[in-house]
Amino acid sequence: MAAIIARDICKGFGSRSRRTEVLRSINLEIAEGEIFGILGPNGSGKTTLLSIFSTLLRPDKGELMILGLDAKRDASRLREIINISSGASNFPWSLTVKENLRQSGMLYGLYGPRLARSIDEAMETMDLWPYADVRFENLSSGIKQRLSLAKALLNHPRLLFLDEPTTGLDPQIAIKTRSMVKKIHRDHGITVLLTTHYMPEAEELCLRIAFLRKGSIIALDTPSKLKRDLGLGERVTIRFRGSIDEEALFAVPGMISASIEEGRAELMLERSEEGTSRLMRLFSHAEILDIRMEEPDLEDVFLELAR
Amino acid sequence: MSLRGELNKVLSTAYKNWTISKRNAFTLFELIFWPLVSLLSIGLLTRFLETDQETVSFLMVGAIGLTIMQVCQIDIAYVLLFDMWSKSIKNTFVSPVRGYHLVLGALLFGMVRGTIVFAILVVSSKMAFGFEFLAGGTLMVALFLVGIYLVSAFIGMVVCISILLFGQKADVAAWTLSGLVMLLCGIYYPVDVLPSSLQIVARMIPLTYFLEYYRSAYGFGSHHILVGFGLALFYVGLGLIAFEMAIHRARRSGILLRLSE
Repeated sequence: MAAIIARDICKGFGSRSRRTEVLRSINLEIAEGEIFGILGPNGSGKTTLLSIFSTLLRPDKGELMILGLDAKRDASRLREIINISSGASNFPWSLTVKENLRQSGMLYGLYGPRLARSIDEAMETMDLWPYADVRFENLSSGIKQRLSLAKALLNHPRLLFLDEPTTGLDPQIAIKTRSMVKKIHRDHGITVLLTTHYMPEAEELCLRIAFLRKGSIIALDTPSKLKRDLGLGERVTIRFRGSIDEEALFAVPGMISASIEEGRAELMLERSEEGTSRLMRLFSHAEILDIRMEEPDLEDVFLELAR
Repeated sequence: MSLRGELNKVLSTAYKNWTISKRNAFTLFELIFWPLVSLLSIGLLTRFLETDQETVSFLMVGAIGLTIMQVCQIDIAYVLLFDMWSKSIKNTFVSPVRGYHLVLGALLFGMVRGTIVFAILVVSSKMAFGFEFLAGGTLMVALFLVGIYLVSAFIGMVVCISILLFGQKADVAAWTLSGLVMLLCGIYYPVDVLPSSLQIVARMIPLTYFLEYYRSAYGFGSHHILVGFGLALFYVGLGLIAFEMAIHRARRSGILLRLSE
């Protein structure tokens, strides 16, 4: 079953005379059990799209089915089985971690032993027990983020939205957060939809990715297929001593771009036997000190798409 | 969803308001300091003016009624104000909670606080000015308090609706609305002294009737308590519908997101 089926979703803000269209005809289908990423620069509409999917916002136009429910008509029922965690999460400042979870659990209608068990499980999963009695205002950004993730697990959602889950976190905490997201997905079988502008994060977590630009999806596929389809080739860096024929370098079959500076050649080329052999011949007159070949990463895909 | 689940959705707001209040030393100002300042000011003014005991009663009923209403209505407004100040409003509205859950939970907590303030003021007014607040009997006290809590619920909802329609700048409504009610409902004077056009407005506000009801026990004319309750229930029902509509509109306008940033 599809977790999300979005057809022609449009959203704009402001009065008629000063209207800004934020989302333009978004069509998307996400399978249940998938980790799906929405990438895009600031202002591309990622958070707006996630807010519509999580029913915080209503679209101006379009049809939206989430977990088999109409997101407009059955929004209340839908909220029982979804949840969201935001990067810059906030909770009432003077409530402790445990009190915030209790209050959030009560909002979902949990009570008695089930509420207590949900809180305990969420605290356990997010490793929050040492902070149980610490007020929100005294928590570090990383722990606040974990609290937000714990809150999002309280109602055992079938679909979890993560809005820039590692924004503002230091690298160590970001790595830990990503491994927690993987753990949640693995242990609970939850469908996860996340937004990020951090490419390695999307590459590490997501099965499929949609690139959003100016409110439209401009590419949607698996990370590896996106890289392949865009024909970005491979990045080859050669450090050498001596001289080479620069004109001949540009004429190598499959060469996409080349730059040479002070004994260092940065090349982007599509791999082919002929191209590699011509390249080796060109450098045979020079002394090669180091050679490095890299697959393009999503950063390259993103830059290519954003052009 | 079970009845107990629905009840816990209601209690979630009461739990939040209680937990925030018990950690805030300034809650004591809301519960004790300002109510007592208000009561003592009016009481001392009656001493200075050498008013008779009837006038003292008239003014004391107004002062106590207004104070309880202010305490209770701010608790309803806190439904959104606490979330807005902590920028956590998204968490509330992404959950399956409805407007009436939030209002009922806050009203429950507001009634507890209002009743505590009422007890403090009744004891203080008796000790300081010999005013016997319970002269009308317990039923009269109960009906008076219920009426005031209903009016508070409506005013609190108007504040919440204003926030959802106009954003953060509307939180000033939380403090100004009760002032407006004070002017129109005859807190410190009978509504008969108002210009006739304002008297019509005063007759549309249920608090006017609840004050007249309580003052009737001290010899101040007749009352129309049923009209007061009819109006109060109508406004609360209207408020709940308008609150749901405001939430619905806020989901379209994106104000819930802006209040969380």
